[in-house]
Amino acid sequence: MVTVTLKVNGKTRSATVPPETTLLRMLRDQFDLTGAKLGCDVGDCGACTVIVDGQPVNSCLMLAGQSEGCEVLTIEGLADIDHMHPLQKLFEHFGSLQCGFCGPGVIMSAKALLDANSNPCTQEIRDALGGNLCRCTGYSKMIEAIKGAACIMRGEELPAVK
Amino acid sequence: MADERSKVADRPDILEKPDILRPPKPAPLVTFPIDVIVPEGRQQTPAVGQRASRADGRLHGLGQTKYIDDMYLPNMLFAKIKRAGTGSARIKSIDTKEAEAMPGVVAIITARDIPCNSFGPSLQDQPVLADTRVFHAGDGVAAVAAETEQIATEALEKIKVEYEVLSPVLDPLESLKLETPGVHAPSANVYGHKIIKKGDVQKAFAESDRIFEGTFRTQMVEHVPLEPYACIAQWDANGRLTIYSTLGRITLGRADVARTLGIPMSRIRIVATVVGGNFGGKNEIRAEPIVGLLSKKTGRPVKCTYTRPEEFYASTTRHPLIMDYKTGVTNKGKILGRKIRLVLDGGAYCSWSETTLGKACILSAGPYNIDNVEAEAFVVYTNKTMTGAMRGFGAPQVCFAYESHMDDMAHALGIDPIDIRLMNAFEEGSISPTGQKLHSVVAKESILRAAKRFGWNGLGNGNGSDNGHGNGNGTGVKA
Amino acid sequence: MKAFELFAAENADHAVAILAKHAATAKVKVIAGGTDLLADWKFSPHGPDVVVDISRADELKNIAVNEQGLVIGSMVTHSQIMKSPVIRQMFPALVHAAHTIGAVQTRNRGTLGGNLVTAVPSMDSGPTLMALEAIVTVIGATGRRQVPLSEFFLGPRKTILKPDELLAEIIIPKANLGKPTHFYKFGLRKGQALALVNAAASFWVDWDKNVFVAPRVALGAVAPKVIRAPQAEAFLEGRKITPEAMEEAGRIAVNDARPITDFRASADYRKNLVAVLTKRCIEGAYELAQKQRQEGTNGNGNA
Repeated sequence: MVTVTLKVNGKTRSATVPPETTLLRMLRDQFDLTGAKLGCDVGDCGACTVIVDGQPVNSCLMLAGQSEGCEVLTIEGLADIDHMHPLQKLFEHFGSLQCGFCGPGVIMSAKALLDANSNPCTQEIRDALGGNLCRCTGYSKMIEAIKGAACIMRGEELPAVK
Repeated sequence: MADERSKVADRPDILEKPDILRPPKPAPLVTFPIDVIVPEGRQQTPAVGQRASRADGRLHGLGQTKYIDDMYLPNMLFAKIKRAGTGSARIKSIDTKEAEAMPGVVAIITARDIPCNSFGPSLQDQPVLADTRVFHAGDGVAAVAAETEQIATEALEKIKVEYEVLSPVLDPLESLKLETPGVHAPSANVYGHKIIKKGDVQKAFAESDRIFEGTFRTQMVEHVPLEPYACIAQWDANGRLTIYSTLGRITLGRADVARTLGIPMSRIRIVATVVGGNFGGKNEIRAEPIVGLLSKKTGRPVKCTYTRPEEFYASTTRHPLIMDYKTGVTNKGKILGRKIRLVLDGGAYCSWSETTLGKACILSAGPYNIDNVEAEAFVVYTNKTMTGAMRGFGAPQVCFAYESHMDDMAHALGIDPIDIRLMNAFEEGSISPTGQKLHSVVAKESILRAAKRFGWNGLGNGNGSDNGHGNGNGTGVKA
Repeated sequence: MKAFELFAAENADHAVAILAKHAATAKVKVIAGGTDLLADWKFSPHGPDVVVDISRADELKNIAVNEQGLVIGSMVTHSQIMKSPVIRQMFPALVHAAHTIGAVQTRNRGTLGGNLVTAVPSMDSGPTLMALEAIVTVIGATGRRQVPLSEFFLGPRKTILKPDELLAEIIIPKANLGKPTHFYKFGLRKGQALALVNAAASFWVDWDKNVFVAPRVALGAVAPKVIRAPQAEAFLEGRKITPEAMEEAGRIAVNDARPITDFRASADYRKNLVAVLTKRCIEGAYELAQKQRQEGTNGNGNA
C-alpha cells in the first residue's frame, strides 16, 4: 500500500491505497470527488481531466503515488457556496452540455486555458480541448461559452448572442 | 452579472403575501364533447431557431450530476465479466475454483446459475452468459463479484475455460448462402427478411434509357457514449429487486430481468438516472440479470461497469450493410425504377435487427418519387459483435448508398447533382414505396435552401469556395 | 491493471539502485509521465511486477546549453519543450514535434525520455533528434555512457537500455546548435493521432554557392525504428538548392524507407507520404535558414 498526502481543492487530504491505484480512482473512491469521470481509462477521452500543479492532466494516467505533495483542482473546486465559475455559468447559459459526462473534463481543460491565455482565439480553444472528446454536442457551444467566460474574466460585456 | 441564487430574505413579497404559499385552485372540470383543434400543416414550430438552455446544465457544469458509476451503496461489491475472446466455440469446461479461493472474491456465477438464459427485444436469442456455445468474442462466460474492482479483474484471469474452437462465419454474404453452416444451427442464418414491391420494376427497366448499378458497403460503428454501461443491483428483505442502470428502456428491462431471473415484474424496480450518452447502445439489458443474481447470492449490492474495450466488443454496434442498387433512368435523369438488395450483418444475436431491417428496407429507395420499386432485405447471423440499435436504425447506411448512387448517375449523365435530385424528390402528397401518402414534405425547398447556403453555383461552376465554414474544399450533396 | 510494487525514487541514482536490486529477479519498469506505460498496462494481464517512479528526479528536468551542446533532461515534458525559450529560439522543429504529440493533457505529463524509451517506430520526438545527430546519456549500476541516438533504438519497443539502466539526457551536439531543421507529421487526425509517416530534415546552407551542407533526413513509421535516409542525404550534399532538388530528394528518400501495410495505411500510401513529407521538410528547413539569415539569428555554423 502507498500513503499519499496532497492538496485537493485547497484542502490537505490523505489516503492509503494499493500502488496501482490511479489518481482518478483515488479522487473518486477515496475522496468522493466523482466529478472526474472514467470514460476510457487510457487517456484518450479526457473525461478524467483534472488540474495538477496548474496543468491539466489525464488523472487516469497518473498513479496516486505520483500525486504526493501536489495541488490538485477538480471540478468540485471551481464553484464556492455563492458563485459558480464563469465557465460553469456560461456552459449552463449557452446549453453547452447535453449528457454532461464530458463536462467536468472539458471545463477543467478550459479553465487551464483561460488561466494561461485571457483572450484565446477559436483555434487556441480547439487545441486546448483537443484531449477532450464529446459525443453529444459537436463542441460549438462549448467554444462560444469559453469565449464568453473569457470576456467575463477580462471584465468585459458579453457579445450579443446571435 | 447578478448571481442566480436569491435567498428568501431577499424576497419580502413571499412573507407579505401568504397567499402565494397556498396551493392553486383546482382546474375546471373537462366537459365533453372536447373541441379538437387540428393544427395547421407545414407550420414551423416556434422552438426552432431559439437558443435553449437545459434543465440539467447547471448540475453538469458543477460536476454534481450523479451517473450510475458515481453511486456507491454501503457494502457494495464490484462485478466483472469474463469474455470468450473467440468468435465461435464449444465450451467444454469452466473451472472457477482457483478464482473462488482468492481473498476478496465473494461469488462467481456461470450460465448454470441463470434461471432462464435467454432474452432479447424481439427474438429472445441472446444469452445472459454463454452456456455450451460461444457465438462471438464478447460473449460473457462467467461473472465475478469481489470486494474491489481490482480483485474482480484479477479473478477473471484465474477462471479457466476450456474451448473447442470452431470455425466462425464472418462474411455476411457467405452467411447468406444456404450451404454455409448455421451460426445458430439448426436455425437458418437468415433470421429476418423483408420485401417491398411497388409497381413493376422490370417494365420500368425495359423503358429506361440508361440502367445504373452499384454496390455500397458501410462499416460496423460503435456508439462510444462517453459513459460506459453500468448497473447496480440490490435486494430487499421482501424479495424485491432494485436495479440502477444506464439502460434506456426500463420497461423492456423489467420484462427481460423478470424473464431471465424467473421473478414477477412486480418485484422489480429499475431506476434509470441521467445517462452519459446512449445513441442506441444502451437499448437493452446487459449485466442487469448478472448483478441481480450476484447480489442475491451474496446478500450485498453489486455494481458492474463495462470497460471501454467491452463497450466495443461486448455491446451492440451499428449494422454493416451491403447494398446493391439498380436504377433505371431517362437520359434527362428521371428515375423510372429502382431495385435494391440489402444484406445486413446481424452479428451474433438479433438485438434490434428486425427494426433495423424494416427501416432500412422502407427507406432504401430514398426520398424520391419512384413509381416502380422492389426492395428486398435480409439480416444474417455472423460470429461477430452484436449489431443493434444505433441512431437511424438502418437509415444512415441506405442514405449513403442511394445518395452516392445518385451522384454516380448524375456524373455519368452530365447532370447537376442538385438538379437530378430536384427532378426526383418527394413533394407534398407523394406516395412512398410502402404506399403512404406523405404530408408536410419540404424536400425540394430544403435542397434549394441548402444549395444556396453552401454557395452551390451549379455543375462545373467552381463550387467549394469559402462557404463560411472553413477549408474551401469541395462540397458534396446529400438529400 | 495487474497489481505491482511501487518504489518512488528520490533522484536518478536512487532509481538506479532500486533497479539494480530488482531487475534480475522481477519484471521492472521505470515510470516517468506514464502516459504510454499506464495505457498499455490498463487492460493487459502482463504488466510489470515492480515499478520505479522517477517523477521526482528533479535533476533530470533541466534544459541547458553547455560545452556539449543543448542538453535536455529525460524527464522534461513535451509541454516544457514547447515553452522553453532556448528550444523555441534554436529548434522550432522540436517545439513543433512536441506539439503534435497527443493532446494538452498528454504533453503535460509525457516526457521526452519516455517517448524515446517507449521506442515506437512512429514516435514524434525521434526524427528531429535523429536529423540533429543527437546523443543520449544512459546511466546504470556500471556508471554513465553516451550512445548516438542512431544506435539507441533496436526495433519496435526495443532499445539498448538494460533492465537496470535509465535514460538521463538527450544532447544535441554543439556543432549542430541552431541548424535549420523542420519536422512534419502526417496522422489520420490533427490531434491525438499516431503518425502514418513523420519526417525531419536538417541542413546548413552555403549562401555563396547556394548548396546544401551536411544534410540530414530522418524518417519515422516506415521501418522497425526511426531511420536516417542516407540515399536522400547523399543526393543533397553539395547540391544546388532548387525546388527540383528538394522534390527529387523526396523521391529518393522513398528508397530508404521500408513501410508496411497495416490497418491504418498501405505501404504504397506511406511511400507517397515519404516523398511529400521529405520535400516539405527540406522546404521548411530552407525557409527557416533564410529567416535566420535575415534576422542574423543563426547561432553557430554557416551563416
